[in-house]
Order: sequence, then C-alpha cells, then structure tokens
Amino acid sequence: MTALLELHQACLGQRLQPITLTLRADQRVVLLGASGAGKTTLLKLCNGALSPDAGSVHWCGRPHQQLSRRQRRQIGTLWQDLRLVEELSVIQNINSGALGRHGLLWAIRNLLGPLDPNTCLELMHQVKLEADLLEQPVRELSGGQRQRVALGRLLHQRPELVLADEPLSALDPSLAEDVLNTLLLLPGCLISLHRPDLIHRFDRVLGLRGGALVIDAAPNTIHRDQLEWLYASA
Amino acid sequence: MALRISLKPALPLIPLLPGLSLLGVLGVLLRDGHGGGISVLQQFAAGAVQPSIDPIVLGSLLKGLQITLVIAVMSWGISSVLGVGLGLLSSSTFWEIQAGVRWPAVILRRWLAPLRAVHELIWGLLLLQVFGLNGWVAICAIAIPFTVLMARVIADQVDCHVSPAIPVLKGAGATPWAVMLTGLVPPLAEPISDHIGHRLDCAVRSALILGVFGLGGLGTDLSLSLRSLQFQELWSGLWMLAIAMVVLDRLLRTLRSWSRMLILPVAMASPWVALGWGTQLDLQLAWPVAEWSMVVGNLIDGSQGFNAALEISWPGVIRATVWITLIAGCVATGLPPLLLLVWPSQASLHLQGVVWGALRLIPAPLTALLLLMLAKPSLSLAGLALGLHHGGVMGRVLIDDIRSTGLGSAQTMKACGAPNRVSWLYGPLADVSRAYLTYATYRLDVILRDTAIIGMVGGAGLGWQLMEALSSFHWWLVLWIVLISAVLTLLGESLGERLQGSWNSRAMAL
Repeated sequence: MTALLELHQACLGQRLQPITLTLRADQRVVLLGASGAGKTTLLKLCNGALSPDAGSVHWCGRPHQQLSRRQRRQIGTLWQDLRLVEELSVIQNINSGALGRHGLLWAIRNLLGPLDPNTCLELMHQVKLEADLLEQPVRELSGGQRQRVALGRLLHQRPELVLADEPLSALDPSLAEDVLNTLLLLPGCLISLHRPDLIHRFDRVLGLRGGALVIDAAPNTIHRDQLEWLYASA
Repeated sequence: MALRISLKPALPLIPLLPGLSLLGVLGVLLRDGHGGGISVLQQFAAGAVQPSIDPIVLGSLLKGLQITLVIAVMSWGISSVLGVGLGLLSSSTFWEIQAGVRWPAVILRRWLAPLRAVHELIWGLLLLQVFGLNGWVAICAIAIPFTVLMARVIADQVDCHVSPAIPVLKGAGATPWAVMLTGLVPPLAEPISDHIGHRLDCAVRSALILGVFGLGGLGTDLSLSLRSLQFQELWSGLWMLAIAMVVLDRLLRTLRSWSRMLILPVAMASPWVALGWGTQLDLQLAWPVAEWSMVVGNLIDGSQGFNAALEISWPGVIRATVWITLIAGCVATGLPPLLLLVWPSQASLHLQGVVWGALRLIPAPLTALLLLMLAKPSLSLAGLALGLHHGGVMGRVLIDDIRSTGLGSAQTMKACGAPNRVSWLYGPLADVSRAYLTYATYRLDVILRDTAIIGMVGGAGLGWQLMEALSSFHWWLVLWIVLISAVLTLLGESLGERLQGSWNSRAMAL
C-alpha cells in the first residue's frame, strides 16, 4: 500500500518533539494521549494548518506547501470546534465540502439558492440527520446535529484521508457509535480520541506523551499498563 | 420527500449585492465624463507626495487644525455628558426602576427625535443666520444633534442590557439608585465608553465639514485650497489632519487600556480644556447675541407659509435625495467586501486599510469637487462621492471585524481545497456578514442625513434647495425644507430598524 502522508523529524517548538511517521491508504489509526500531549498539534501538522519548525511533512511525496487544490482536498479534517459557516443552512454547509471541486461561480450559486439537494439528502441520511433539517440554519441546531452536519460536509469532500480531532467528545454513547462507524467506513483515517477502550476498532495505535510519539503499534500488541502510563501525570 | 428549495440569497452574499450598483454608476460616469480634469487630478495625486512645506502655509493650517479640534473636542465633551444624562432619562428601564412606569421615556424620545433628524450642517447654517460667525455656532451645531444621537444610543443600550439581577435587588429592598448602580451601570460601562470614544472621531469630521461651508477651521482652509487648485497646500492640511486623527485614536486607546471608566470624566473635563485652548486662537468664544428679528419678522406673515410650500416640486426633490442616498448606500456597503473578494489576502487588508482611511479623511464635498473634474454633475456622481466617503467608514468596520474574528475560517476552507476567493467568501466574509449588514443599515441613516451636504455641492436634493432658501433669506421655505428633511430622516431611521430586524429574522429563517 502506498504512503499517503509522511512526517520526517517534524517538530513544532515545545509542543511537538521530532516525529517520523507514515500513514498509508486504507489504514485506520487512532491517536491517544492526555490533554496537552500534542494531538491537535500533530493533526494540524498533518493537514497543513501548521508548518513544522524543522523536518518535513509530505502528502503523496510532495511537501504540503506545494500541494495543488486537488491534492489539498484529498485530506479531510473534522475539526474539534466543527468550523461550520454559522450564517448558512445545513444544505449550504454540506455543499461547502464540495467547494474544492468547483469554482467561484458555483460557490456563489450555492449562496443564492441551495444546490444539489438530492446528494445532500443522501449524505444526511448517511449521517442520520433528519431530512426536514435540510434548509435549517446550522446556528439553530443542537450540538449533536451540528457534529453530523460537519460529518456530512466531510463526506461530500470525498477525501482519501480523514483527520478527526476528538470527534466523539460531547456526544451521547449512541451518537458517538454512529459517528465512529461512519468515520471507520472512510478509506483512511487518523482519529484522536480519549477512549482507550476503542483501540480494537482500529488497525494502528499512536500514543503521544509530552509532545513525543511514544507508542506506534498494532492494538493487539499494546499492554494495558502502556495506556495507563500514557494518561498518567508526568 | 418532495423537495421545495427556495431561491434566496444567503446572508454572506447580501453585502456583495449592492456592489452591482457600481456598474450603473460607472456607466453614468463614462456617459458624463470629460477629459478636462485628468491633468488636474494628476496634480492632485502628485500633491500627496509633495505637500507644501512653506512655513506660512503650515502655520495657517496648524491654526486651522487647532480651531477644528477645539470645536470638535468641545462639542464632543458637551454632547457626551448631556447625551449620557438624556439617554438615561429616555430609557424605559430608568423610569421603570425609579417610578414603575415607562411613559416618560416614550414622550422624551418623541420630543428629542426631530432634533437629531436635522443634520449638524443645517443646524450650523441656521444658527449662523441668527448668531453670526462665532465659535459657539459650530460647537452648538454639532453638540445639538450629537447629544440627541448619543441619548438614543445610550437609551437603547440601557434597555437592551437589563440585568436579571434588577428584580432581585428591588425585591431585596434596595433603593432605586442603588439598583441602578449595582444592576445597570457595570454591564453598560464598556459599550457606552466605546461609543463615547467613537463619537470624538465623528465630531472631528463634522467640525471639518462645517469648516468646508465657511464656519472656520481646517475645513475652510482645505476648501479654499481645493477651489484654487493649490493641491500641495491641500495635502499639507490632509496630512496634518491624518496625523491628528491617529494621535487622537492612540490617546483614546491608551485611555481605554488604563480604564474604560476614565472616558466620561475626560469628556466632562474636555470642554474646559478646549475653552482655554480656544481663547489662545482666533476663535470667537464670547457668547453671541441672537438676532431673531430678521427670522421672526419673516415668519410672522403666515400667509407666505402656504405659498412657500408650493414653490418646490417636492416629489422631484425628495426623489433626488432618496436616489443619492441609495446610490451612496450601495457604494459604501458593496465596495469594501467586493474589493476584498477581488483581492483576498493579508496584504490587501493592509492596503485597503490605508485607502479607506484616506477616503474617510477627505470630506465628502471635497470628494465631490474632485469627481467633478472627471464628469458632469449628476445624482450618480453625488451618490458616488458620498458613497466613497462612507465606504471609508464601512471599509474600516469590515477590516476591524475580520481582524477581530481572525482568518481561521479561510484556512479551513483552503485546507479542503477551496480556491482562495471562495475561502474568503465562505470564511471571513461570511463570519462578519451579519454584523456588517447591521452596521450598514445604521450607516444608511447617516448617509440620508449627509445628503444635505452633498446636495449643496451637487446642485440636487433638499440640501441644494436649503442653500438657495438660506441665501435668499426665505425663512418659510427654510422651515419647510428642514421639516421635510427631518421627516425623511425619521422615516429612514424607522426603515433602518426594520431592515436590521429583517437581517436577524432572515438569518434565523434561512
């Protein structure tokens, strides 16, 4: 399987020590670590929101800074704060996931009147969002509904790798299960979680402690003590 | 499920739509354009980098600037103090706490409304006829509408910051004044001090406008320089003004960083400081004697009143005024987001900050005179001149909003592979669209009041008619025009409030 994302000795100030890491297509990876361990920083390095102080980050063999629009849209991110466009409706937000495949005129058309409702309805069905919310402003939705709109937008982007930052936090158990199932159906993913009990659902486990990558192994090789140490105070 | 998708522009698109009016305005400018003034405009542009450094010119401009600042600071101080007091008295919450009734607030608001509906320039010209040329004429001309505008803002702030603690405090047996000090003042301190600070900038610009129409100060110098095509002198004055505005802005920021509560005592002290400063200059600050006989004598003959009302074709004049307002409103609202969408970047934010600053600095009548060098006078030209000036204000609002919101949303969109312009449209421009539109509707009120100024230059609308009536001492006609412009302004305010409500409900109903 070819390498999608490669980090080589990538580091960022005090927040992240040099990390070398390769993520391959069709690989489901969970990222564990206590709060402040550097999970969000690592995800931001992976999606190009942050640039490393030293080392490099490559997507399909090309440095992040040199990625084309087509390559950038192959990396999808489910942000912890969701980053929805608050002034728009559900359908317009879901459609914004497809902005990478279209130009300015399509974007303006989406603002004039919602486009492609059938595709959006399918996506809403996929993320278990009620169809009558299609034209509802996202600012009026509950936390769980907003989370699923963000997921719908991500699915509409059709990325090859999904980076998700604590996507299950603030969700009830049933909804968290639905969201995780949807994410695990995607081609490849790197998901940060505070749920060591779920590692058996993934192909690979990464553990961060104090900004350093201290675990990189298959779930069945990881001992319970290692996980406890990961979350223990320094 | 049957899909019924309605076509309606989403909120982030609405600030851009008025920009389409620019196509029409450009069409008119091309139709009415004449090449005669291009060389003059080139000289004007060259003057920006080669301002006059003649000590006599600089000395005169410095004196003019000081007069403008004295007028501005005095009117700002007086209107701030009186405005806070009247604002409190015209708020329903105040009367409810003090007496358990609301009607005195409603009555006071109704009484004050006509005073703010008359533009400071009209006040200036009216007071000038009665009191003659005197420093107090300019000060009162600004202080009267500013006091009432301030009172309206303060009353609105008081009424929308009602603390849930107030009934608890009343229930606990606290006296009305103790309830106000504990439950009302703390949440109001920040917005009120911010608004008071903002009014100083407005007062300087108003003092400048009064100067352009002959009431003294730097405005008079700038107007004379422009009319005699002395662009180097004009630019010396504009650069001085720019420096003074930056210094005032820094002073206010520093003051706010120490304590927001300091601004009111400073406003209270400022008229006394300015009075001392003004007596050192050639500014007549002895209290003037009113000459009512000419005005009253004219008005005593009531039979002229009806005839005067028939002298003007009101529909045409009102149509011209509304048309100028609409064009100016569209240009001012649409231009800043449109330019940002054409060139979306950090560098563009910096450059546009400078451009909007310059447009804000140059008084609208002078912008109109500059545009007259390119094209024949028309309503579109008047609207464009006013729109560019207010575009300076709207541009600053847009840039400040985007800076305080941050560019994170644009980065999010870019990370999904969206093109740069689309990232800004769905990112920062969408984030600030609601606040921007709300401010734009408020600005429309101000633009409507300002058509008086541009009408005087452009030969159209109520402003022009007022100038004609004043020149011929036709007091009945003056009265009618002031009355009609006050009614128009109040109607505009009411429409603005409805539009603001509509932005909110539109966003809610999307």
